[in-house]
Amino acid sequence: MIPTAFEYHAPKTLEEALRLVERHGDEAKLLAGGHSLLPLMKLRLAAPRFVIDLGRLRGMSYIREENGRIVIGALTTHAEVEASALLRSKCPLLPETAAEIGDIQVRNRGTLGGSLAHADPAADYPAAILALEAEIVVASTSGTRTIAAHDFFVDMLTTQLRPGEILTQVCFPPLGPRTGTAYCKLHQPASGFAIVGVAARVTAQGSGKIEAVAVGLTGVGPKAYRAEAVEKALHGKKATPKLLADAARHAAQHVDPLSDLHASAEYRREMAAVFTRRALERALARAQGKKA
Amino acid sequence: MKVSGSYLFPAPPEQVWALLNDPKRLAKCLPGCERLEPDGPDRYKAIIKFALAAISGQYSGSVELSEKKPPRSLRLRLEGKGTPGFVKGEGKLELAEKHGQTELRYTGEAQVGGMVAGIGQRMIEGAARKLIQQFFESAAAQLHTSPDEEKAKR
Amino acid sequence: MATATRYIGKPMKRKEDPRLIQGLGHYVDDLQLAGMHYVGIIRSPYAHARIRSVDTSKARTAPGVAAVFTGEDLRGAIGPVPCAAQLPDMKMALRPVLALEKVRFVGEPVAAVVAADRYAARDAVDLVEVDYEPLTPVVNPEKALAKGAPLLYEEFKDNVAYRWELEGGDLKKAFKQADKVIRQRLLNQRLIPMAMEPRGVVADYKRGEKQLTVWSSTQIPHLLRTQLAAMLGLPEYSVRVITPEVGGGFGSKLNVYAEEALAGYLAMKLGKPMKWIESRRENFLATIHGRDQIDDVEVGVKRDGTVLGLRCKVIADLGAYYQLLTPLIPTLTGLMISGCYKIPAVRVEITGVFTNKMATDAYRGAGRPEATYIIERLMDLVAAELKKDPAEVRRKNFPQAKEFPFATPTGLSYDSGGYDKCLDLALKKANYKKLRQEQAKLRKQGRYLGIGLSTYVEICGVGPSSAMPAGGWESATVRVEPTGKVNILTGSSPHGQGQETSFAQVGAEVLGLDPDDVQVTHGDTAIVPYGIGTFGSRATAVGGTAVYKSLLKLRDKLALIAGHILGEDPQKLLFGEHKIFSKSAAKKSVSFAEAVGAAYVAKTLPPGMEPGLEATTFFEPSNFTYPFGAHVCVVQVDAETGDVKLQKYVAVDDCGNVLNPLLVDGQIHGGIVQAAGQALLEEAVYDDQGQLITGELMDYAIPRAADIPWIETDRTVSPSPVNPLGVKGVGEAGTIGATPALINAVVDALAPFGVRHVDLPVKRERVWHLMRKPRRAK
Repeated sequence: MIPTAFEYHAPKTLEEALRLVERHGDEAKLLAGGHSLLPLMKLRLAAPRFVIDLGRLRGMSYIREENGRIVIGALTTHAEVEASALLRSKCPLLPETAAEIGDIQVRNRGTLGGSLAHADPAADYPAAILALEAEIVVASTSGTRTIAAHDFFVDMLTTQLRPGEILTQVCFPPLGPRTGTAYCKLHQPASGFAIVGVAARVTAQGSGKIEAVAVGLTGVGPKAYRAEAVEKALHGKKATPKLLADAARHAAQHVDPLSDLHASAEYRREMAAVFTRRALERALARAQGKKA
Repeated sequence: MKVSGSYLFPAPPEQVWALLNDPKRLAKCLPGCERLEPDGPDRYKAIIKFALAAISGQYSGSVELSEKKPPRSLRLRLEGKGTPGFVKGEGKLELAEKHGQTELRYTGEAQVGGMVAGIGQRMIEGAARKLIQQFFESAAAQLHTSPDEEKAKR
Repeated sequence: MATATRYIGKPMKRKEDPRLIQGLGHYVDDLQLAGMHYVGIIRSPYAHARIRSVDTSKARTAPGVAAVFTGEDLRGAIGPVPCAAQLPDMKMALRPVLALEKVRFVGEPVAAVVAADRYAARDAVDLVEVDYEPLTPVVNPEKALAKGAPLLYEEFKDNVAYRWELEGGDLKKAFKQADKVIRQRLLNQRLIPMAMEPRGVVADYKRGEKQLTVWSSTQIPHLLRTQLAAMLGLPEYSVRVITPEVGGGFGSKLNVYAEEALAGYLAMKLGKPMKWIESRRENFLATIHGRDQIDDVEVGVKRDGTVLGLRCKVIADLGAYYQLLTPLIPTLTGLMISGCYKIPAVRVEITGVFTNKMATDAYRGAGRPEATYIIERLMDLVAAELKKDPAEVRRKNFPQAKEFPFATPTGLSYDSGGYDKCLDLALKKANYKKLRQEQAKLRKQGRYLGIGLSTYVEICGVGPSSAMPAGGWESATVRVEPTGKVNILTGSSPHGQGQETSFAQVGAEVLGLDPDDVQVTHGDTAIVPYGIGTFGSRATAVGGTAVYKSLLKLRDKLALIAGHILGEDPQKLLFGEHKIFSKSAAKKSVSFAEAVGAAYVAKTLPPGMEPGLEATTFFEPSNFTYPFGAHVCVVQVDAETGDVKLQKYVAVDDCGNVLNPLLVDGQIHGGIVQAAGQALLEEAVYDDQGQLITGELMDYAIPRAADIPWIETDRTVSPSPVNPLGVKGVGEAGTIGATPALINAVVDALAPFGVRHVDLPVKRERVWHLMRKPRRAK
C-alpha cells in the first residue's frame, strides 16, 4: 500500500527537529518507530506533507539513573526497555509492560516516546506510566517543560503535547522497598492491542497493610486513566483476597467503556475488574517477596 | 453504528435553536468545516477537512435540517464523500428547557464506508463520540458570544 | 507397493526449499519487464449502488498516467468473468470485468488506471470520481430470501441463485422408527483464505507474434489459459500462462479473476507489459471468501445410538456474483453429509442465495468442512442426548471393513476405510481415559478442560470427469533425456504441496535413479501438456498416477531396449542404482545411460521400435478417493474471560499410501491450523450496510505458531484401490477433520454450564456469556 507523496526530513539534532516542526506545523508528522504512523499513511488515512524522521537524533535513546530518578530517552525502543538490566532491577513494571507490546518486530522499532505521544487508547505504556506517576519532559523552540503523567492523556489520541513540541524523556523514581508491580493484559487476538491492560503498583507492609497503590488502565475507554476508585478502596487497608476483588470491581467506575467488534462495553467493564484484580494480586505478592 | 447522548447548553432553547439554523455559526460547530454554503431551503453544501490526531481526510458533502419543530426538535442529516470513503450520519435532536438552560438529547445513526470502515474498528465509536463532543463544545462556545447575549449585555 | 522401496515412502526434504528459503524463488511481483506499466483498480465503496457516472478526466491528465478505463470502455471487449458450474435452474448472473450500471459488493472493480509506475497508479486511483446512487444492500442471507428484500438482480424476481436437492433412502420411515429426533442450527462462518502472497498478474503481448503471455499467481494455469483466450477472443495457442512461485493458494487461486483478464486486455490494447499486484485490503475484499452457510439439521436416532436418518436444509450465502465454482461448493456439503457413518436415509436441500458481499468459492475443504462440521457436531449432540460416550456413538454407526467399497445414501462409493482402527489408535495415543479422569479432577477445582473428538471422511482426488465441470483427469509427459536425466512434465500445478520432491521420488524409484536425477516441471502452458491443475487434493492421486503410468511406459520400453542388448527377457529385468540388470544374474547388466543412449542413437534398437524416450498419459480416475481420520483435541477454558486455549492435539489420518511422510505431516499440520483459525479466531464480518469491517489483519485474527501446541500425528494406511499408487490425497483433510474436534472440545468443556452448542468461531465473549447464562446445569 502506498502513501501519498511527502517530503522527508531526517534532522540530526533536536534543535533542527524542533525548527522543522515549528515551521511546518500541522502539515508535518514526527516519525519515531513508525509502526503507528506508517500503517496510517499506507492506508492513506494520514497524509502529512512533511515527515520528520527522528531516527537520526543522537542522545535520545538511553536508560539511566540520575539524581535518584530513572530517566528514559524518548527514542528508546520497547526491546531496549524489555532487556534493560537497570529497569528489571529498579522498575520491572516497564520491562514487563514492554514485553506485551505487539510482537518482536514492533518492539525492535517502536519507541516509548512515540507510543506515549500517539496515545492510542489501547497502547500498553500509558497504563504503566500512570501507575508509576511518571513525568514527561517535552521540548520546543521556547524551552522545555514537564507534564505529570496524570495530566498528559487528554482524550483518544490526544495528549497535552502542544503544536511544535517533541517529547524527549520520561522520568520517575525507582520503586521503593516492599513495592511490587505487575502488568496484566487481555490481548485482542488479531492486533495484539489491549482489550484491557492493567498496570498496578502496590507498597505493602509485612502485615499486609497497603501503604501505597496506583492502578493504571488502558484499552477500556478513549484514554488511559488511573482507577482512583480502586486505589481509594485499598489505601491503608489490610490486603485480603476479598479486599482486592471488591476493590477491583471499581476499575471502570467513571468510564464509559468502548464497544467494538472484539469486545462489548459490558465485557470490557467486566474484564477491567478481572484484570485489575489479577494485577493487584500479582503486584502484592511481589511486594511481599513472593514469587508471582 | 448507533449514537446517543445529551449535552447541557448554558442558554435557553430559543438561542440554541437559532444557532443550529444559522449557517455561519453551524459551520463553526462542524469540526474541520471549511465551507458551508446554502444549497436550498435548510440544505447546505459542505467541505469538511477532518482531523483526528494523525488521521485526516477531506470530505465534500451536504448538511440537511428537516422535521423542524421550533424550538423543540429537528432532524440533522450529514453526508460526506472523500477519498478515504464516505460518511453518513443522521440524528434527531431534541431540546428541553432546564432552568434557563437547554438539555439537548440526540439519537442517531452513523455509517462509515470505504477504507475507514475496514480498519480502526475499535476507534470508530470513540472517534464518533469525540466529534460529537467537539460539535457541542463549539456550539456552546459560540453561545457565550451569541448576538442576543451581546445585545443583552449592552 | 508391498516390497521395500528406496525412495517412495521416505521422508525426503523438499527440493523446492533451498531456493525458497534463500530468497531465490521468483514470484509474480519479482518480474520486471522493460516498459512495464502498473494497473490500479478503482473499487466500489458501496455494497449496492447504481453507477450514475464515472469522471476520469482528472486521472487521465495526472502525471505518469497512460490511460483510464471504465466498464463502458470495455463493453464488448472482454467476456464476462466465467463460472464453470452448471446446476439445474441456476440463475446466470454474469459479471463484467469492470462494473456496468450497478455495483453489488464493496470492492467490486469499477474502473482501472494504467500508469508508468505503481506510485502514479495509486495516486491516479484517488482521482477517478464515481457518482453512485446508493441502493439498500442486503447482507444477511435469510433477509435476502425474505419477501420485499432488496433485489441484487432486478431481472430475477428474488435473490435465489439456485435450489438443489439430494435424497437417498427412505427418510419418512427413518424418522418414524426413530426413538428420538435431535435438531440443531449450525452457522458456518465466512472466512478469508489469507494466502501469504495476495494475487498478482503480469501480462505481455507481442503484437507481431500475436502471443499473449500471462504470469499469474494461480493454481490452474491451463484452465486459466482457456478462459482468458475465450474472454479476450484469442485462439488458445496465442495465450501462454506461466505460474511463478505461488505464495499459497488454498483454493483462493483456483479461479479466473477479472484482474487477470483485464491485465491481458490492457497489455494488448496499450502495447506495454502490464502488472497488477493486489494489496492486502483488496485481497480481503475481492478475492474469494470461504464457507458461509446456515445449516438446519435434524437426525433421527434409536435409543442404542444408531442413526436412522438425517435431514438438512442449507442456506448457502454465495455473495453477489459467481466466481468459477461458487454454486458447486455447497453441493459437496450435500454429498458428504453422512460422513463416515452408515446412515440409511438422508435428504439435503440447498438454497444458494445472492447477497451484497464478495463471492464465496473453494477454500481448503470447499464444502466438506461444512458437511463434517454438521455430522460431527450431530454425533456429539446425539451422544449428549442419549448420555453415551461420543466415541461409542460413532463406533455404533461405522461401516465394517468388509463393507468397502461403501455405498453412501448420497450416491458415493467410499474406496477404502478402517474407521474403527483409526479411532482406536487416536484414543490410545491421546490417552483418552486418562484425559477424562483429569477433566473430572479439574472440574472439582473450577477449571474447565474439554475433550473433543472428530472422525471424518472426505472426498478428494477430484475426480471422475463425469462428475466434474471441466474435466477431472490429469496429464504427465515424462522424458528421459539423452544424457540419462529425467524430466517429468506434469499438468499438476504445485504451489506448496511438494510434488517437485514426491514425483521425483517416484521417478527415481521406478527407473532406479536418484531423486536428483529427476526434475519436475510444471506451471508453464507452453511446456507441459494440458492439465487440470492443483486443487481438491488431487495432485498426487490423479497427477501422480499420470506420472507413474508414464514412468512405467518408459520403464517397459527401456527394459525392451536393455533386454535386446543383453539378450535377456525384459520381464526378468530390474532397475536400480543407475543400472538395468537381470533378476537372476546381477552382473548381467547395462547402465541406465547406455540403454538411454541406445534409444536416441538408434543403432541397436529392437526391430520396429520407435526411437526416443517420451511417454504421455492422461489419467482418468474411476472414482474420487476418500481419506479419513480421527482427531482428539483438548482445550482449556478460562472461566473468568472465556478464553479458549488449545492444549493438545492428536491426529490420526489415513491418506492411503504415503509417498513422503514429511509432506503428508506438513499438510496435516497446516490443515489443522487453518481449522483452528475457523474454530477459534476467524470471521469475515460485514456490517448491515455491506461494509467489510474486518478489513485488515488488525481485526481478522489468524492463528500464530504460539497459539498451536505440538500436533501429535500418526497414521493408518488403507491403500486406495482407485489408483496404482494407492494414494488418496491429504491436502484438505486436516482442515476438514479438525474444526469439529475443536468445537466439540469447547462444548465439552462447557458441559457443566449446561451448554449444548457454541457457534463458530468460539470468541471469548461468546463463551463468557454462555458461562454466565442462567440455565439448568447438567
